[in-house]
Amino acid sequence: MITEAMVNLVFEDCRKSCTNIDIFSALQGQSILVTGGTGFMGKWIAEMISYINATRSYNIQLCLLGRDIQRFKDEVPHLAEKEFIALIEQDVRNIHDLPENINYIIHAAGSPDNREHASQPLRMIETFYKGTQAVLDASTRLSDLKNIVHISSHQVYGENDSQLLINEEYLGRLKSDSINHTYAEAKRITETLCSVYRSHFKLPIILMRPFAFIGPYQDLEKPWAINNFIRDGILGESIRILGNGQTTRSYLYASDMAFWILTALISGKTGESYNLGSKNSITLEDLANKVRSSLNNNIEIITKSSKSIYTNFTRLVPDTSKIVKAFNVDETHSLDDSIKRTIVWNQLNRSKF
Amino acid sequence: MIKQILISDPTLRDGNHAVAHQLSAKQIAIYSTAAEKAGVPIVEVGHGNGLGASSMQVGLSLVDDVTMLETARRHLFKSKLGIHVIPGFATIKRDLMRALEIGVDVVRVASHCTEADITQRHLGFVREKGKEAYGVLMMSHMASGSVLVEEAQKMEHYGAEGIIIMDSAGAYLPSDVEEKITALVNGLKVPVGFHAHNNLGMAIANSITAIESGAKILDGTARGFGAGAGNAQLEVLIAVLERMGYITGIDLYKILDASDIAEKEVMPSIPVIKSESIISGLSGVFSGFAKHVTRISKEYDVDQRDVYQELGKRKVVGGQEDIIIEVVMDLVRNRK
Repeated sequence: MITEAMVNLVFEDCRKSCTNIDIFSALQGQSILVTGGTGFMGKWIAEMISYINATRSYNIQLCLLGRDIQRFKDEVPHLAEKEFIALIEQDVRNIHDLPENINYIIHAAGSPDNREHASQPLRMIETFYKGTQAVLDASTRLSDLKNIVHISSHQVYGENDSQLLINEEYLGRLKSDSINHTYAEAKRITETLCSVYRSHFKLPIILMRPFAFIGPYQDLEKPWAINNFIRDGILGESIRILGNGQTTRSYLYASDMAFWILTALISGKTGESYNLGSKNSITLEDLANKVRSSLNNNIEIITKSSKSIYTNFTRLVPDTSKIVKAFNVDETHSLDDSIKRTIVWNQLNRSKF
Repeated sequence: MIKQILISDPTLRDGNHAVAHQLSAKQIAIYSTAAEKAGVPIVEVGHGNGLGASSMQVGLSLVDDVTMLETARRHLFKSKLGIHVIPGFATIKRDLMRALEIGVDVVRVASHCTEADITQRHLGFVREKGKEAYGVLMMSHMASGSVLVEEAQKMEHYGAEGIIIMDSAGAYLPSDVEEKITALVNGLKVPVGFHAHNNLGMAIANSITAIESGAKILDGTARGFGAGAGNAQLEVLIAVLERMGYITGIDLYKILDASDIAEKEVMPSIPVIKSESIISGLSGVFSGFAKHVTRISKEYDVDQRDVYQELGKRKVVGGQEDIIIEVVMDLVRNRK
């Protein structure tokens, strides 16, 4: 159950990340639809809009579309009861008509959880393909639509064995006949769909390719390294690095993520793609040490790996110069700060720990 | 380079197959104490088919899961307490939660080698609780290396910190082990392990081939006490590994003592490779079927070897013990 202290922490995060609140005057009285609106991204968009509306009287309207509205109400009642938030329970694949007053769309439906991709790849492909097509079809019937942000994935870039940061033009190795690339291929077809609708129906669409995030509302059970490090650390169990400890990632704090998406929604240029993530790379070994330091304890760090020696390692870190230059955004939370705030927020959640 | 091998000892779990799941609490206490003294890293305890499996279909255990686990827990301090879990037998609410409350440290969630999907919730639950979770692919001789890699990758996604393939039928030759372990080591991030059965006399050779191919986890039992022809004989395995320069953390003299104790106190007879076990291995039949096949074959006066051959043709897997009677009845009908 969310507590007042947890809500306050998130509000402060939004205040820090929202480095230019005046740009949101463009959204005054406008309506934004978020598909996948009850997930991690949707909750943070709602928190940021909540902060903006509370700080300025922009009266931005938000429509969150998700499959399990009751769960959203249970998890975040302080958001569900806001007057500016409307909740629609619907599977994105079945969308036909959207509320007529929608001006902006953030299409974030579809889970990035690779456990689901492994167990239900066909459902995942269908959700991305049919869901995206349904949203775009419905968008063509909106009379005052100003912009669509399609949330894609960094996985469309394929594998990166080089030391380079990944820019928006990067093309890595992808195997369409591999079960391991199902998610990436599904995301790639959604990008192609967006291009078709932009070209044929003149829909104003921009693509954002998220990398990794950390922050409140991110389920620590999700099968990603930083989540599991923090969870095991809070539980006082050993932190386990699975695979190569030199694997390199980067993590953007959740409130920065929300600010960047909303900024792109206002200012993004149709047809452009933007990386969404942190440029500050870190190896999994260093990350595990950071988590342990943040927890102030001496829990063990264990590496469990199939190989004794690695000749190469994966590096999934974005070059963010395009989005930083285009929207004048910046990372406001350091990784140390991000980890600490995520730990504090989860420790406040007494029902889980 | 340090060549460290993690040893898991299922004497008190796989060995339960060899005695129709009749291990007593006293026997569990005695062997746990001996294994603890020897420095065995993981001691696996339970019904032969794992947590929650005691049933008319696969055999009722003498003592319930809770008693077995609580007994072992009282005698294990540095050694971790492990369990074998097959979703379907073990439920999360009824069995797994209780086991973790008792103090189980290591959970190995197993499925047939092509059905890793069924392990998602159980692996997720164990990791959620911060405990060690491994994935186990049983009857692995029934799938190709590439299929095993795809199934193992699912388990890796679900949170498994290592993947163990079981030669449940004792059907492998070293060349098979090399092919499959190499494929898994190349295809996975997490460590790979091997669990041998000795139907063709290959348990130690196959285990050594596994680590030479990149595996980092091996299973072995005292005197090879386990289903069918038994497992890799732990004390032999430790001796061979020492000779080869591998580190296991297990004291050789003390594991020899533990196996002597196990022979005297735990097992009514030492596993040997019986004639029917050889046919079972050649036919690729689950070693846990041995007791059932022997009993039913005797009852209807049919040749066990014919039963194994037919079970192998039908590609029967663990949990399908009820097919044995069907096969026997077919043989009886054909005889007439």
